[in-house]
Amino acid sequence: MRLKMALMVLAGLSTMLLGACYESSEVNRYEPGVYKGQQDPLVSKLESDDELREKLNNRFDGQRDR
Amino acid sequence: MARMKFLCDADRCIECNGCVTACKNTNEVPWGVNRRRVVTLNDGLPGEKSISVACMHCTDAPCAAVCPVDCFYTTNDGIVLHDKDLCIGCGYCFYACPFGAPQFPRTEAFGVRGKMDKCTFCAGGPGEDGSEDEFTKYGANRIAGGKLPACAEMCATKALLAGDADMVADIYRERVMRRGGRPQTWGWSQAYGEG
Repeated sequence: MRLKMALMVLAGLSTMLLGACYESSEVNRYEPGVYKGQQDPLVSKLESDDELREKLNNRFDGQRDR
Repeated sequence: MARMKFLCDADRCIECNGCVTACKNTNEVPWGVNRRRVVTLNDGLPGEKSISVACMHCTDAPCAAVCPVDCFYTTNDGIVLHDKDLCIGCGYCFYACPFGAPQFPRTEAFGVRGKMDKCTFCAGGPGEDGSEDEFTKYGANRIAGGKLPACAEMCATKALLAGDADMVADIYRERVMRRGGRPQTWGWSQAYGEG
């Protein structure tokens, strides 16, 4: 009787252990050639900040010969 | 919107390496990494020419095309940047780049190179602008402060120009007109001689 119980517990534990080894068949698919990293706030800043754009344009123009 | 580019006027470059020093100093670039360097053709001979070379922020950047982890992005102003958190240091970008711009900080056993480092047009990288984290990884973010790259702004002879491609081309065109004749810096005779 004891042996039977022990075998049953062992079988249950084995099932649980094997169940824990389950691996999802779903895979992460990434589009190639598409940036995957963190976003850069400078990108939106350059688009929306007119004052910054003005400053940069002045600097560009400052490279002309005097 | 601008299209950011560098242009080095080879008739003005005096090989002072001021741009290299400015870049190293501003971005605290580690020893062994050269984001910018000066290349001299026919060094020591009459008519030698020097140009300052770094990442050219290509419109269709080959580094980005070959990157297996897609860590490159291009801002709407055409500045090519990358995320060091994604970079695996494989070196593909180095093989793809025609200018040798990508640099690697380490040379260890089994080809361990460390994360790729390159010129950022002084625009930092992903993450909060002007943060310590950004500075440590990518260097200064002068563009966010309304300034041009340090190399161009420090150039004593204004040989190295940086900024909107239209404006840079306009400045160069004015110079060529004043000098007279056609620019032969990268022209036929420069490449193939007079023949």
